[in-house]
Amino acid sequence: MISRSMFLRSVFAFLVALTLGTADGHAQTDENARKFIGALAQRAISTVADHQLTQIDRDEQFRKLFVSSFDIPEIGRFVLARYWRVATPDQQQEFLSLFEDITVLTWAKRFQDYNGESLETLSATKDGDRNWSVDSHILRNQGPPIPVQWRLKEGDNGSFRIVDIIVEGVSMAITYRSDYASAMQTNGGKIDGLLSIMRTKLDQLKAAG
Amino acid sequence: MASSILEKIALRAGVTAIAALLIGCATPPPADDPEAQAEFDQINDPLEPANRVIFSVNEGIDDYFLRPVAVGYRAVVPSFGRDRISDFLDNLKSPVYLVNDLLQGNFTMAGSTVGRFALNSSFGVLGIMDVAEPMGLPGHSADFGETLGVWGIGEGPYLVLPLFGPSNPRDTVGMVADSYTDPLDYYLQTGGRHWAYWTRLGLTAISQREAYLDSLDDVKRTSLDYYSTLRSLYRQRREALIGNARNPQQSGAPGAMSALPAAVLTDDTQQ
Repeated sequence: MISRSMFLRSVFAFLVALTLGTADGHAQTDENARKFIGALAQRAISTVADHQLTQIDRDEQFRKLFVSSFDIPEIGRFVLARYWRVATPDQQQEFLSLFEDITVLTWAKRFQDYNGESLETLSATKDGDRNWSVDSHILRNQGPPIPVQWRLKEGDNGSFRIVDIIVEGVSMAITYRSDYASAMQTNGGKIDGLLSIMRTKLDQLKAAG
Repeated sequence: MASSILEKIALRAGVTAIAALLIGCATPPPADDPEAQAEFDQINDPLEPANRVIFSVNEGIDDYFLRPVAVGYRAVVPSFGRDRISDFLDNLKSPVYLVNDLLQGNFTMAGSTVGRFALNSSFGVLGIMDVAEPMGLPGHSADFGETLGVWGIGEGPYLVLPLFGPSNPRDTVGMVADSYTDPLDYYLQTGGRHWAYWTRLGLTAISQREAYLDSLDDVKRTSLDYYSTLRSLYRQRREALIGNARNPQQSGAPGAMSALPAAVLTDDTQQ
């Protein structure tokens, strides 16, 4: 049986931890940011390299991992840029849902070609109030390592979410933004036009497996 | 004396560019929309309609000729053989890399280029084996477009060149300039050695296209608008290369012949 004092002590400890954790909003450290990326890479690799899993299970696990690690709403808002504000809540909702499906399928396919690469995290630096960037290298069987920078944001609950990946100086978010802005332009700057292109793209990606 | 083939190509590119200008420019956004204006400036593609026409011609050539040839090359020549060919071709470009390393003031890189050339041309049997990389001298490339960038010259508006694809005025000038600093180019264009010149050009095109097979397929498959995605990738990548050339110690050496991020594209693409 738990004594009353023990119970109170644990409640107190919990409150202290909560206060310390959120006092300045900087609960996380550089080292945690680096570890987050290292652990994520490990999980992603063990998912794709697990030959016990069926393809369906593997895709499902990959999706879960992807959705929990990437701040898809944040990236989506960045990608839609000024069009985000003119979109209705319904359009925003559908955009984010399509955007999530498209990015998950895109990266799942890329990971299918996994060929023994590994990720080496180098250092993490804080850039901004709740933002970190983690430098890493993809090590391949052959050829020089590929520099990859991860941009992280600390959420309100203190956990990290990825907001951008910069590979050899090329930002995923900026590339998406440019792509989506153009797709929008060719459809007369209409959100519904963009959404319909996204639906078509999603169908194509699904059909291709 | 035969004039440089690249010169002719450049001339033709110039003519096409002028013709393209007549096709028209992208419509700038209305002046009362500063956000749209900012986006227009940021995309930096005032010649977009003309660029898209050239892009689609290039795509046709790629779909029906270059890509199938590259796929065939991959099917016929094993990976080991392809690596020997791309190492050999890369080694031949060393003089161009050296000139640009020096012009960029990257003396460490210049030393590395000289060391690689010496090692690979001798122990690496005329460059077919990259023996310098395992010895701590990884490959890197340098071109005159990059040099101009290091000197602070802006890219200018985005251009799609016939056959050569994504570029801009700065990199177009750089490409032509590099053809003049390539001693092998001069040598191969005299004394009935044109066959060797064309062989080198053709092999380079096939080898590079093969290196980008998976990457470009991936970009094409996943993007909503292939044209603008390539434009964004090209511009970001060139800027990053120039940044690396400015601060060589801060970055890993950029992969030789790398114009696309090799791993947006996690695949086993060989550089």
